[in-house]
Amino acid sequence: MIETQGLGKIYGRGLYALRGLNLTIDKGEFVFLTGPSGAGKSTLLRLLLLQETPTEGEVIVAGRNLSRLSRHEVQAYRRTVGFVFQDFKLIPTKTVFENVSFALRVLGTAVEQQRRRTYQVLKWVGLQHRLNSFPEELSGGEQQRVAIARALVNEPQLVLADEPTGNLDPDLSLEIMNLFREINAGGTTVVVATHDRELIKWVGRRVVQLEHGQLAGLAEAPK
Amino acid sequence: MTALGYAFAEAWTSIRRAGRSAAVSIGTIAVAFITLGGFLMASVNVQRVLDRWLESAEVSVYLVDELPDEVRTALELHLRQQPIVAAVEFVSKEKALARFEADFPELQDVATAVPQNPFPAAFEVRLRPEEAGGPDVDELTAGLSGRDGVADVRYDRRWLTRLTNVVRTAQLAAAVIAGVLMLGAGFTVAAVVRLSLHARRGEIDIMQLVGAPFSYIRGPFIVEGLLLGGAGAIVAVAVVALAYTAAARWLGPDLAGFIGVAQLQFLGLREAVVMVGGGFGVGAAAGTVASRSAR
Ligand SMILES: Nc1ncnc2c1ncn2[C@@H]1O[C@H](COP(=O)(O)OP(=O)(O)OP(=O)(O)O)[C@@H](O)[C@H]1O
Ligand SMILES: [Mg+2]
Repeated sequence: MIETQGLGKIYGRGLYALRGLNLTIDKGEFVFLTGPSGAGKSTLLRLLLLQETPTEGEVIVAGRNLSRLSRHEVQAYRRTVGFVFQDFKLIPTKTVFENVSFALRVLGTAVEQQRRRTYQVLKWVGLQHRLNSFPEELSGGEQQRVAIARALVNEPQLVLADEPTGNLDPDLSLEIMNLFREINAGGTTVVVATHDRELIKWVGRRVVQLEHGQLAGLAEAPK
Repeated sequence: MTALGYAFAEAWTSIRRAGRSAAVSIGTIAVAFITLGGFLMASVNVQRVLDRWLESAEVSVYLVDELPDEVRTALELHLRQQPIVAAVEFVSKEKALARFEADFPELQDVATAVPQNPFPAAFEVRLRPEEAGGPDVDELTAGLSGRDGVADVRYDRRWLTRLTNVVRTAQLAAAVIAGVLMLGAGFTVAAVVRLSLHARRGEIDIMQLVGAPFSYIRGPFIVEGLLLGGAGAIVAVAVVALAYTAAARWLGPDLAGFIGVAQLQFLGLREAVVMVGGGFGVGAAAGTVASRSAR
């Protein structure tokens, strides 16, 4: 699903944020990215989302070389990827329902289908009773569930999450992780960057450890 | 179609949110277009007056007294054969006098005080409107001056031509000023659009991340500019229409007597359409430029 070859990223003229990274993630895998602050976890996710372009090396996702995509192909690629950030990135002026259906609306999906699908995912994350609330009226965990609903609404092949539980208490974090497990159980590849060792242990999936922009060790977490 | 509907809905929300700054930019556009509309209206009316004058402009060929009939007939035939001549009317000395008496009844005494009829006979030559002012007219008048039996040739079109040139120059200057104002208006709209772009930066980022097409990302901002510009131009047309109504009511009768046109004329439909279309155009262009960064 994801393959990086000698992937490197230098910000400005400074140090390597990522360096010579060779990483393979199979289709349908659930992978944790971990490592100390500044190790390059967010950078890798940004490269996968094409928010940044690599300084060197290649990223291949589902057979597509991300450095060789045209503008239109970038759009098409992003429609197959769901993303979840630590700060939720919800639109404050839109309701819960609109924040989620928005991702379908801007793809030109038929209105009826937007409604059905949005309701479906919001129900799945347990927010069907908050459709008309605004983000600021929700708790952190609820906001993050809206963000997850948005990431899933157009049925992506790959979900990328950067510290999705960073602002949440442990119970909520487990709840959110369960959602990711369910997504993954449906065949979607999931990559989650987190510092939270407890969480990693609890979920019990493959862990990719980064240090100074390089692989520190590939370890199977105990099942 | 959905992209368009989306763009209009979002642009409308954005304009409502921008509130006062949107109103300011509509006002600026309106001022630019009021200026343009004022110039257009003045120019439409001046042009109309000029056209009227030009149309009635004739070449007067004054004849020497005691002209033998055959010379007169030959001259009339010559005039009628000219391709640029539309009509020829002979005005005898008697008729000229009668006209004078009818036009200036208070001066009747003056005319009768003179021992003999002081008015010369003349041919009044009406030209084809499209030829008036052309080089052929000069050629004709020059040829006539030297002709047997012709006392004098007068063509009142000549100063009209000069007036037309002055008006043209004024119109050009007005167009330049209107263009500058329009550019200023465009910048104002662009500034407002850029503000809403700023206000919605987060939204744009998310749209980009979900792979929204450019039409969805930029559309709302282009439409916002379009609506602001169009609204400004519509306000301007309304203001010019009001000003016209007022002018026609207070000044109309006086002006009509002076310029010989029955009534002032409002902007033609074409000018109004051009103004409103121009407003939409300037606005959309400003929105397009301002939203360049959102891609
Ligand atoms: N936009 C940027 N400009 C310059 N340097 C950057 C930028 N983004 C990240 N870096 C640097 O790149 C390195 C890797 O950063 P990155 O955000 O990927 O780390 P991280 O593993 O996500 O850390 P954390 O756990 O704190 O989120 C850091 O040294 C950071 O300072
Ligand atoms: Mg990070």
